[in-house]
Amino acid sequence: MLLFAAQLVNGLSLGSLYALFGIGFGLVFATLGVLNAAHGAYASAAALAAYFLIDRFGTPFAVAGLAGVAVGGVLAVVVDQIGFQPLRNRRSGMLAALITSIAFWIILDSLFGVATDQQSLAFPASSYPQAMLALGPLKVPTMQLVNFALLIAVATGVHLLIEATRLGAAMRAVGCNDVAAALGGVNARMIVLVKAFLAGATSGLAGVLAGIATSNVSASLGEGLLLKGFAAVVVGGFDDVRGTALAGLLLGVVEVFVAQYLSTSFRDGFTYLILLVFLVVRPRGLFGRDSVVRA
Amino acid sequence: MRALADLWAAYGVTLVFGAVNAVFALSAYAVLAVGVLSFATVVFAGIGGFLSAQLAGAFGWPFLAILPFAALAGALAAAAVAGAFLRLESHWMALASLALVLIGRVVALNAPALTGGVNGLIVPLRATPWELAGLLGLCALAFWRLDGSAYGLAARAVREDAAVASTMGVSPYRLRFAATLISGAVGGLGGAALAFTLQFLSPDTYFIGLAFTMIASTVLGGAFHWSGPIAGAFVFTALPAAMQAVVPQFEDVAKGLVLLAIMIYLPRGLIDPRRAALRRARAHG
Repeated sequence: MLLFAAQLVNGLSLGSLYALFGIGFGLVFATLGVLNAAHGAYASAAALAAYFLIDRFGTPFAVAGLAGVAVGGVLAVVVDQIGFQPLRNRRSGMLAALITSIAFWIILDSLFGVATDQQSLAFPASSYPQAMLALGPLKVPTMQLVNFALLIAVATGVHLLIEATRLGAAMRAVGCNDVAAALGGVNARMIVLVKAFLAGATSGLAGVLAGIATSNVSASLGEGLLLKGFAAVVVGGFDDVRGTALAGLLLGVVEVFVAQYLSTSFRDGFTYLILLVFLVVRPRGLFGRDSVVRA
Repeated sequence: MRALADLWAAYGVTLVFGAVNAVFALSAYAVLAVGVLSFATVVFAGIGGFLSAQLAGAFGWPFLAILPFAALAGALAAAAVAGAFLRLESHWMALASLALVLIGRVVALNAPALTGGVNGLIVPLRATPWELAGLLGLCALAFWRLDGSAYGLAARAVREDAAVASTMGVSPYRLRFAATLISGAVGGLGGAALAFTLQFLSPDTYFIGLAFTMIASTVLGGAFHWSGPIAGAFVFTALPAAMQAVVPQFEDVAKGLVLLAIMIYLPRGLIDPRRAALRRARAHG
């Protein structure tokens, strides 16, 4: 029973990372129509930035983490303005945006490879909270609880932002029809920047946390998150933050349990099988409203 | 003659891989030409590739004798994929095919009897550059003939507007089914070609990297004419080799930048029949 509970906590913590990553990925796909293969690179960039701050300057962990998050957000804005804005002006479809994002993925990943000398780095163990917290008979690493708490905070915050504020209404309007939104007095260009920053920042947060959880800070960090975060977004439904959060947690728990009780070699297979089943049977996802086709 | 031999020694490998990638790009083009974005080519290639590696290993069959089986296996797999996914809306189809690629690797890892599992599989034989050139030529010939046929006309109609095409009596579903079968057969051939070129297969051979190379080649070259994917594949394969001579450490960065520049400045690809037609019209105008 204790093992079950411990693994449940492990799964929820892992799933929090997928969900955090997926929130921005889904936001950009549902409202900007960009299936962004470079989304993982924001996570890697944030983790790398935080690592270099800690390693070179001994920056406190929270500050370095926040700086990493900011780096992720700014990078996303830069990528969006260089790569996706020209396509948006021309109204080219999803394929062009996908290829452009692949180009950025290649560029950023190989730059990170050069920056890290193709090594996998790890945050120094002394740099982040290491204590075990006691939850009844269970001892849980602090960072696992931090992951979960941050997911709840970010998911609630983004959900409220989108559903309950003027800015959120503008974001939904631009996602629905940017010309109509602009005619209605929304600064569509500004909204796109906000979305890109939000997506990059949440991806960056997931990257910093995943860098700690997996003791791996490198270009491959983002790639792992990308595939699982993508699955979380599809299973949860693109246009709903709650769905992504729940699906991310679900996939994390399933992954850990499959590895524990079935076989480690099937842990990824199960995740992708769930993804495929959802795509075929319920493409709207758990919480999806209408489909997200953009004319 | 000596200079030619030197040139081959330096760039022969690039040309060979360019030809293999061109076959993959044609497979991706086969479905893109009817308005379907699918990554499933990688799965068809994996099936064709592992099958041909097994056939070569078990019976010692040469490359050319194996090709029909690889094409058939790819087409059969494509029939299953088309049956399951083609009813989905276009971008769900793209995502489902991507999920299929991810699952394919897990399956390959866990079926060591068929794929060698984590250790991979050695292919004892090798395809000569002439055989690969012949294969690519044959595929190109097929696409050229298809382009001018009734199928090609219907494909263009479905791609431009599926609803209008169906009012004209063309069934988009049946056309897309046929296109997926073609993509499967060509993908299977490409998989076999890759197996006989690399001479070593692992579950990572047929994975995301190949999917993106193939789609990028197609879009880079232009997805509006069958010669586009071929040109794109050669350019995309040669880019890192060319960049390595100029900026060794940043060859991939340069590859990405070129891809980016083309997407921004030449969004319809290197070969674009519409642009050529417009230019001709202006010249005669």
